[in-house]
Amino acid sequence: MRVQIRYLSLSILIFLTSFSAAAFAEQGNPVKPIQAAAIEQQLWQSPEWINLLHYYPERFSKSGYRSHVDDRSFFNADNGIEEPREEMLATIAAFYREDELGNMHPICRFPARLHWLSEHIEIDPDTLPEAACADYVEWRGIVQAEQVTLVFPTYHLNSPSSMFGHTLLRLDRSVGETGSKWLSFAVNFGANVQAVDNSLLYAIKGLTGGYPGIFIVTPYYNKIREYNRIEKRDIWEYRLNLTPEEVERMVVHLWELKEVNFDYYFFDENCSYRLLELLEVARPGLELTDEFGITAIPIDTVKAIEAAGLIEDSMFRASQMTELQVLLEQLSDDETRYFEQLVENVGVVQSTGFIALALTKQQKIIDAAYRYQRYQQSTMVRDDALAKRSHTLLGLLNKYPADDTPLPIVVPVQPEKGHHSRRISIGVGERDEQAYQALSMRMAFHSLEDNGHGYLRGAHINMANLELRANNETDKVELQRLDVIDIFSLTPRSRFFSPLSWRVYTGLDRQMTDGVDRLTSHVTVGAGVAYSLFDDAVFYALGTGRLEFNRGFSDKRIKPAAGAAMGLLWHFSSMTTRLELAAEKFSNDKYRSRLQLRHNMPLARNHALHLSVNGEKHTADRFVDATLSYRYHF
Amino acid sequence: MKMRKEILLAAALTLGSGSALAAAPGGPDCGWGNLLFDGQSGMGPHFLALTTNGTFNQTFGMTSGTNGCSTDGALTYGGASMISSIMDEFSEDVARGHGEALDAVAVMMGVDKGDRAAFAKVVHQNFSTIFPHDKVTAQQVTDSLMTVMKSDARLAKYAA
Repeated sequence: MRVQIRYLSLSILIFLTSFSAAAFAEQGNPVKPIQAAAIEQQLWQSPEWINLLHYYPERFSKSGYRSHVDDRSFFNADNGIEEPREEMLATIAAFYREDELGNMHPICRFPARLHWLSEHIEIDPDTLPEAACADYVEWRGIVQAEQVTLVFPTYHLNSPSSMFGHTLLRLDRSVGETGSKWLSFAVNFGANVQAVDNSLLYAIKGLTGGYPGIFIVTPYYNKIREYNRIEKRDIWEYRLNLTPEEVERMVVHLWELKEVNFDYYFFDENCSYRLLELLEVARPGLELTDEFGITAIPIDTVKAIEAAGLIEDSMFRASQMTELQVLLEQLSDDETRYFEQLVENVGVVQSTGFIALALTKQQKIIDAAYRYQRYQQSTMVRDDALAKRSHTLLGLLNKYPADDTPLPIVVPVQPEKGHHSRRISIGVGERDEQAYQALSMRMAFHSLEDNGHGYLRGAHINMANLELRANNETDKVELQRLDVIDIFSLTPRSRFFSPLSWRVYTGLDRQMTDGVDRLTSHVTVGAGVAYSLFDDAVFYALGTGRLEFNRGFSDKRIKPAAGAAMGLLWHFSSMTTRLELAAEKFSNDKYRSRLQLRHNMPLARNHALHLSVNGEKHTADRFVDATLSYRYHF
Repeated sequence: MKMRKEILLAAALTLGSGSALAAAPGGPDCGWGNLLFDGQSGMGPHFLALTTNGTFNQTFGMTSGTNGCSTDGALTYGGASMISSIMDEFSEDVARGHGEALDAVAVMMGVDKGDRAAFAKVVHQNFSTIFPHDKVTAQQVTDSLMTVMKSDARLAKYAA
């Protein structure tokens, strides 16, 4: 009830400000007293104002602040981007502008600012100009929300910007179950792409801030299609406990962000960071953005939102791919054969064998065949023949009674329950009878061997992973390795799915070259296949290539190598073991072979013991290197 | 009753972005096309959009397009454009007789909660009328859906 009254008062403030001209003349200029009150209360320093204008502390600005918004139209003062005080005074004056009383009037453009100011300073609605905010009124009629849901489409390794996952918000209309979540609105922050650049340029510009960021509001069904169906990502949905009043505050502010360009940087000022800001606007006093100065990994922001006590419950929305796999697992060998035939030839349903099957089985087989065809179709241009067959399959499926028993999908561990993404390790080791101490630090995110609880199995993404070693005999501290980027996507193939497994990593590492241990810089890539041997063990084999800069190489110091790697990744209880055999040969006939064992034993969510053993042969040099370390995720 | 009208109104308005998207499926500036049903084509640019969580349009849930899409896709009935946005999903749900796309269409058409099961049942029984072939358009689907609803005693009031 209170909300409605507040909303009504705001509406009155905005839309029913008539009789102003006469009042204006009688009372004199109303702007000055309001500005004076703002100055007296030093209102521009209040966190709400800072949040509404998206200011952040900035050492090099005179005021100590600068706004993330990179769009002149968002500010009323010329120096508003850096001056919260000037912006507040100019905003107050702007509300009294008498020119152009349509949609672009500041009263229509900045309703959240007006509302907030009027809560702290007495602003007589009768003195405000009568602005006609047709667009805002229309939009509020469309976007009605009483609840907010945080949406997390999971990790997607095959797309550079989605490998850490993504977050968006969903504005839900009805608390009860009478509505449709598909018709809710998704609020998404992403790069605002003006032209179709080629994909490489696109990725580079996206990462470096070459595109501005912008909020869009779109029906949630578009997002379900985008993530669940096209990208085949499972989606987690977290209902937040924002009150209707807080939701209202967010929605009113969201309107102020329509078509407003923000700075967009992939690592920090990204989709997830911006959503935290919206939540801070919704619930004054909430502090979420502070800990994300350097990076804002989507799942870390989900953890922060959870830690702030905002999450009410969670829901898992399986991707089209997950559903199809679950459906296929339900089929017996015989049924799978029918499925296989049916994908190619719809006529199979006429065969006596098929007709002899139980009706529920027939239904499942047809459903699976239909879904498999759509899966095949989803990454290519529409194919007429395939569309015709799919339509026929749907028609066949329609002949069976409706069966709304949900698929027996096993809901995985929630991603926010996983280990934290930064990691520090301390260890002791020995190499060629020389002992050393090792210290390593990783900025992000998850290794194949790390505790897999809450993570996507086979998804290995490491960034800025650094290892230092102190040799006990020589007393020297040396850089052992630096992985700038290290990605390994291990996806088992099966009878019906043939994903590529691949890896790419680049940085510095140490290699023996003619008896000298040297730091080299390299780019190493690999591509191949993986198969599930049994439930928790995956075998993989990759062809590899490496380009290495090595001062130990004679004549040209940059040389390419070709090689192969095969390995076994085995998860048992919470432990993980990986055994890999790899070899490579350089263009100058130098070669290396390596047998490595990694074993990780989690002690708790963020603690683990890790054993690493390498036996290597670098042309004529051989050595064995073993490290035992304690790892802490934070 | 008042509530329903409100939903209908919101739904009809909501469609703006949907209709715009549907107007030029696969066009350079517009959204996803349907895959199963005709009138769509490649999705190349959209894959690029996904690589930075980016967007080629600035849709904000409004009817009046700022999203660079053509808006002349006939919005003769409120349901048309939304159905064209989710036609694949809707057709699957109609074939199966249940699902969230089907529910979304029911909510859009103002079907009361008490009549949703009847709606699901009726459309399930009329799959071949509503989706007669793989070249059917969203407008034809909408028209057939209305006809089917009109000829059902319980649902006729929603198709009036």
